[in-house]
Amino acid sequence: MADTKTDNKTKFIKGYTAMVLSRTLDKKIVNAQRQGRVGFYTPTMGQEALQIGAGMALEDRDLIYGYYRDVPLMISRGVPIETILNQIFGNSADISKGRQMPSHFGVKKFNFMSVPSPVASNMPLAVGAAYSIRYKKENKIVLSTFGEGSTSTPDFHASMNLAAVFNVPVVFLCENNGWAISMPVEKQTKVEIWTKAAAYGMRGIKVDGNNMLETYEVVSDAIKRARAGEGPTLIDAISYRMGPHSTSDDPSKYRSQEVTEGSENDPITVTEKLLKGMNYIDDKFIESIKAKTQKIVDDKFDECEKIPPPDPATAFQDVYKNMTWMLSEEVGGIL
Amino acid sequence: MTTMNMVQAINQALSQGMAKDTSIIMLGEDIGTDGGVFRVTDGLLSKFGPERVIDTPLVELGIIGMGIGMALNGLRPIVEIQFQDFIYTAMDQIINQMAKIRYRSGGEYTVPMILRTPYGGGIKGGLYHSQSGESYFVHTAGLTVVTPSNPYDAKGLLMGAMKTDDPIIFLEPKRLYRTIKQEVPEEEYTVPIGKANLVHEGDDLSIITYGSMVPTVLDAISKNKVNADVLDLRTLLPMDRDAIFKTVEKTGKVIIVHEAPRTLGVGAEISALIAENRIDYLQGPILRVTGPDSPFPYRMEDYYIPGEKRIMDAVSKLIKLR
Repeated sequence: MADTKTDNKTKFIKGYTAMVLSRTLDKKIVNAQRQGRVGFYTPTMGQEALQIGAGMALEDRDLIYGYYRDVPLMISRGVPIETILNQIFGNSADISKGRQMPSHFGVKKFNFMSVPSPVASNMPLAVGAAYSIRYKKENKIVLSTFGEGSTSTPDFHASMNLAAVFNVPVVFLCENNGWAISMPVEKQTKVEIWTKAAAYGMRGIKVDGNNMLETYEVVSDAIKRARAGEGPTLIDAISYRMGPHSTSDDPSKYRSQEVTEGSENDPITVTEKLLKGMNYIDDKFIESIKAKTQKIVDDKFDECEKIPPPDPATAFQDVYKNMTWMLSEEVGGIL
Repeated sequence: MTTMNMVQAINQALSQGMAKDTSIIMLGEDIGTDGGVFRVTDGLLSKFGPERVIDTPLVELGIIGMGIGMALNGLRPIVEIQFQDFIYTAMDQIINQMAKIRYRSGGEYTVPMILRTPYGGGIKGGLYHSQSGESYFVHTAGLTVVTPSNPYDAKGLLMGAMKTDDPIIFLEPKRLYRTIKQEVPEEEYTVPIGKANLVHEGDDLSIITYGSMVPTVLDAISKNKVNADVLDLRTLLPMDRDAIFKTVEKTGKVIIVHEAPRTLGVGAEISALIAENRIDYLQGPILRVTGPDSPFPYRMEDYYIPGEKRIMDAVSKLIKLR
């Protein structure tokens, strides 16, 4: 038991550190967007506890089919912030070669599948990947993340049904932040999201997504079941989108701010309180980690900002393994 | 060599491909126990088992999405969509996922997947079992669009597709499934993707066509003793430009025949390619004989699908018939 306790201490402190890094990076990018240094961003502020709680429950070999608001999840996986920033800038060091809008990440090395804009489109892929895992007898599971707005789509329904019918090792994590741009969850759906699982013969469970430890436990349990061949779970992680939908959105038009930074419902405040109560961290640690993190983020941001844009020729590569004659002809007239 | 129809040829290609490569896995509606509504996958379930020949729930976007996910994790899925008409609910998966993942992931992720689906009319299927929607796919960079016109090409193109690392839309002209029999080698072979086939040689004019219309064109010119080049495109994206130019240079007179509606059909692209690159060789207008810009009718399908009369009307506009 002592070992578990030490393990947990290390794990939770690491989780908290990842939360601070996510929040610091998030604010840095939003501010930079306001200054015109970044084109666009979808802030993740408010969803750190649930994403990092989930991330802590995963093994490195597990696959993530996420969406465009998953930076904390990536950070908890150990994705370097340079990788994230290079994508935000769309510079020549960006894995996707500056092709995708900011926030649409994909990092194969960390098993984080590339993200499209249409919501829930990655969900059926997660089910297929999970099927292939079982077929190939790999000891992996798939984590599929999406917002609560996605639960209205046919892709959600298709994925839930297929995952249950084929009993594949996938965990559906609904990042229920209460808002799909301007639509509150009450207008999105008539029932609580976790209850939808019953319609598919799947296990559904609700968790306080602002509590990293509870989310970690609930996701760990779902993963354990998936690994054991006991099928998929739908987790409804209740949270709050503290920021706008994107940097192009002004939430004051449709809602009043329910959770503000540093307030008692801010998942970072919640986590600090929890870990302080367990004597894992203290105010001194919090202060020093925040200062250290700010310095790292500032430095990395400046570094990545200086990296030049991609060679224009790369914009037309990777459409196929080999470029078609049409595209080479067309590119010849452009470059 | 064995005499086979297209259904048998495709079945053999699938069977041989799956026997050789365990990463090939099939999914679709009624493809297992029932062997598919056209019986193309008959017998494969008993050969390869339910883990590899998967009967799926009724949801095209889910089936195609699952196929993509399998491809991303190292398999080579072959998805069957029962009728091409039913594919449209899955267009987001096809256009925004299947076709774009290699590009948007900077080449990190690829989708080596085949999407097979029967298309076209002639089976009394009405509006929703007869469509020729190839233009939707041909307009999407990232896809490769293939359509055979005979059993030999069907097997060879499909075996070639199984070795391709990009997503392929494999359009099967359902009218020809059982109407043509041909000698097909028992052994494995491939027909190259991206290469057209000059199926008839002549000097007076060129007829460029593909899929279900190839036999109709061949019948029409043979019956009426037209001395024409007939080019079967076989691959619609990317098209075999060199083969098109070669026949245009030879005859200077071009008719394009397809069953799909005329406006922005494949024929429009062929006409534009010729007009841009070989206009000096033309001795007359480029003519199109196509399905009309209307939905596909049930009782009157012979009026919809281009036949001998309409093909010969076009021929007589370009050459003097003997």
